[in-house]
Amino acid sequence: MISNITETHILLNYLIAIILSIVVALLLKLPFVPEKPIRFSWTKSALFPTPIFSIGILAIFYSMNFQWFYDGLILAVIIAILSGLFMKYLFDYVFPKPNTGEQNE
Amino acid sequence: MNEIIGVILASIISWINFVVIDTYFGLPEAPGVKGANIVGHSIKNRGGDLSGGFFQGNILCSPDASAGTLLASMGVMVLGFQGGLIAAFMVYIGNRLCADPGYAGTIGALTTTAIIFLCSFLGFTPIMFVIGMVIAITTIQGLNHSYSSKLLGLIAKKLNRETKME
Repeated sequence: MISNITETHILLNYLIAIILSIVVALLLKLPFVPEKPIRFSWTKSALFPTPIFSIGILAIFYSMNFQWFYDGLILAVIIAILSGLFMKYLFDYVFPKPNTGEQNE
Repeated sequence: MNEIIGVILASIISWINFVVIDTYFGLPEAPGVKGANIVGHSIKNRGGDLSGGFFQGNILCSPDASAGTLLASMGVMVLGFQGGLIAAFMVYIGNRLCADPGYAGTIGALTTTAIIFLCSFLGFTPIMFVIGMVIAITTIQGLNHSYSSKLLGLIAKKLNRETKME
């Protein structure tokens, strides 16, 4: 499946994507964790779901055997930065919070 | 590893994984959508437990750790550990489309990916977890709702996630 680069490189790239996406989200002034109780919170934060987006999209590219320059490192950095930007500016437009249902009743 | 023993052990591991994560993230506490509320009360009327009923209604109405566990197993089977990461991402999108904050499903998919990776050193294969998860979900949703909801209610009580609703 992955022919050009080693497993260590892949894991390192995922780690870089996770850390960098959290840093970008924090720089864009998203909170680090959602407010408590976390399990019912709809707040987007740096820890969740920003890294899920970055590693998920990165995994899609790597699975298609598309690594680009420097053994996939540049791709990891670009996707991490774009995930942070998406989370800050586009997320609410793409995934709006559901209404509570009162308007429909 | 013998396939039958592997499937039995994988179904036990998957069962514990998804029930503990779903309970911890508050599925028995409150119904996320109206459908889950109706399922919960319907199971209670048939002699079940309301907390367990909300749990069953919630996993029916959105992809929580049950679906996360199953899809991550399938992802790892098809694409290796990267398939598990793609599954977590897809489950998160599915969660948001189903009016769910998405913690249980995403974290369930990621823990399953980690568990399958660790168990692969013991001779488990991802397909054992796919079958195991189908068996695990059948024991909860497919055999007897009143008994399974009572068991889920008991686990919710132990983890301090019991519903306060009537």
